[in-house]
Amino acid sequence: MTKSRPPFLRNFFQGRDAAKKKFIAGTISPLVLYMAFWTIFPLLWGVALAFFEYSPRRVGGFLGFGGDNPFIGLQNFQSMTNISPDAPLQIQQFHTGIKITLLFAVIIVPLNLLLSLPLAFLIESVHKRAKNIYRTLFFLPVLAPSVGVAIMWGFIYHPQRGLLNAIIGKFAGKLIGINWTGDPNLTVGGIPIALFAIIIAYLWQDLGYNLVIFIAALQGIPDSIKDAAKIDGANWWNMFSRIIVPLMMPTIMFAAVLTMISAFQVFDIIQVMTEGGPNGQTQVLLLNIYNYAFRYQKMGWAAAVSIVMFLMVLSISIVQSRVLRTDWEY
Amino acid sequence: MATLTNPRLKRKFRFNFAYVILTIGSLIALLPFIWMILSSFKTLKEVRQIPPTFFPQKFTLDNYEKVLTDEDLPLGLFYRNSAIIAVANVIQVLFTSSLFGYIFAKYEFKGKKALFWFIMSLMMIPQQITMIPGYLILAKLGLINNLMGLIIPAAIDAFGIFLFRQFALSIPNELIDAARIDGAGEFRIFRSVVLPQLGPALATFGMLTFMFNWNAYLWPLIVLTENKVRTLPIILTWFSNRMVDKTNLTMAASVLVILPVLFIFLLVQRWIVEGITLSGMKG
Repeated sequence: MTKSRPPFLRNFFQGRDAAKKKFIAGTISPLVLYMAFWTIFPLLWGVALAFFEYSPRRVGGFLGFGGDNPFIGLQNFQSMTNISPDAPLQIQQFHTGIKITLLFAVIIVPLNLLLSLPLAFLIESVHKRAKNIYRTLFFLPVLAPSVGVAIMWGFIYHPQRGLLNAIIGKFAGKLIGINWTGDPNLTVGGIPIALFAIIIAYLWQDLGYNLVIFIAALQGIPDSIKDAAKIDGANWWNMFSRIIVPLMMPTIMFAAVLTMISAFQVFDIIQVMTEGGPNGQTQVLLLNIYNYAFRYQKMGWAAAVSIVMFLMVLSISIVQSRVLRTDWEY
Repeated sequence: MATLTNPRLKRKFRFNFAYVILTIGSLIALLPFIWMILSSFKTLKEVRQIPPTFFPQKFTLDNYEKVLTDEDLPLGLFYRNSAIIAVANVIQVLFTSSLFGYIFAKYEFKGKKALFWFIMSLMMIPQQITMIPGYLILAKLGLINNLMGLIIPAAIDAFGIFLFRQFALSIPNELIDAARIDGAGEFRIFRSVVLPQLGPALATFGMLTFMFNWNAYLWPLIVLTENKVRTLPIILTWFSNRMVDKTNLTMAASVLVILPVLFIFLLVQRWIVEGITLSGMKG
């Protein structure tokens, strides 16, 4: 066997490190082949799709391109800049998608941090056994499937049978029939109330992530610092705002960016709870992409939207790496 | 001299304040689950009642009987589908992540750095950009409505490779060299020397991978369009849409789909929490 190999390969597979080299070749080459097929190829295909008017139902040439799926250049991207009110529906929906997605993420991140950080601090301050119980209870929603979260909360928001209206009704002393997720006319400060309903359900599930990250970070703060502050007479608020928060700044920034990236990619809860309704008021970008690609079969357009979405997420990731590279020292 | 300035009393007061807030908060965290469970024991008439009741007036198990005997909802099959996908993906991802993490940590070869950074940059690429071509590839290969369609493309986890590389870096080279001198082959070293050292990381990352696969929605929704191959989250929304107004049945089905595995996750939450804090990783 070895003798029939050309000199180069013979040198490569023989000698001192022959076994190591064989091992590397035998593992890395399948990895490279696999990634070429399942990552690079789809990536290139996805980018190419954005330059075609492509539907999988139509006939085309290589990979379905050409023929009935014509090359249209940058047309998909150019049409995205059409902000006139009589723009085609798909463009208006794209604009709504960007607006709603940004709004969702911008509301989620501060709310999440404002709740999870003090909660983590409170949980850390109680007795050890109680601490574990509380942490477990707050963490429980993280473990549930987001689809289940959407179904549970959808029932809570039900206009007639829901728990929320029942509770409000108890206090108001009358029947309440607010349609939290289905009335397009209900808005607060121009933001649809259905979006707030989704935000609360999303927060309910999402809090636990940052909570455990913050608890771990709190445990990493040396006792000597806390003790020193106590001796200096710091009360818990001073302790929290002057000692804990500044020391945890890197973790807080990290958590903020992660929360934002995952909020950008919200899908499950909205698709199950409102399907983007009422009147498309909660149609975030990913739902938009899903609908155009897999329900309306306009994959070229959907691919173009997904590239825009990718660039949005990427810009946050870049900010993240910048922020995380900053040296935080106190 | 027990006055209010007594630090002990003061601490007690502060602790009580914390307990009150935390107890209210954790009740809110539990409330949707409780509401779901209580509603699953109500009759259709009671669920339709306005305003709704909180505790069931007439406790019934009929909903569970109906859900469990519904011929269109063979829950066992959907549990099996979900389990096949989650278990297969955990096994293959743990294998590839630990193997390549170890290789990137302990071996030198041409192009290693470039390849590693290339894989790391893949972490930046969100699922939605490869979702559409991924679907088209599966369609060409005839893997739509096939559980393999959710397994074959999921063998490599860039984050897993990164994580295991970090762990493998801390394994002493002497340990590996000693095994080599004893005549162990390279793969044997990985299996018998390196893998046991990575035990805790395998448990942590394995649990996390299992949970994400078990709860996954978007990609299975695209690939699995026929009920008989669908996973639990997708079948649950399908059932809920079909039931429209029979919320009591939807809630019973939700309890049967969500709670058993939630309970198991709860038992292993220590590893899941560890995994999340280790990585700050999200689904």
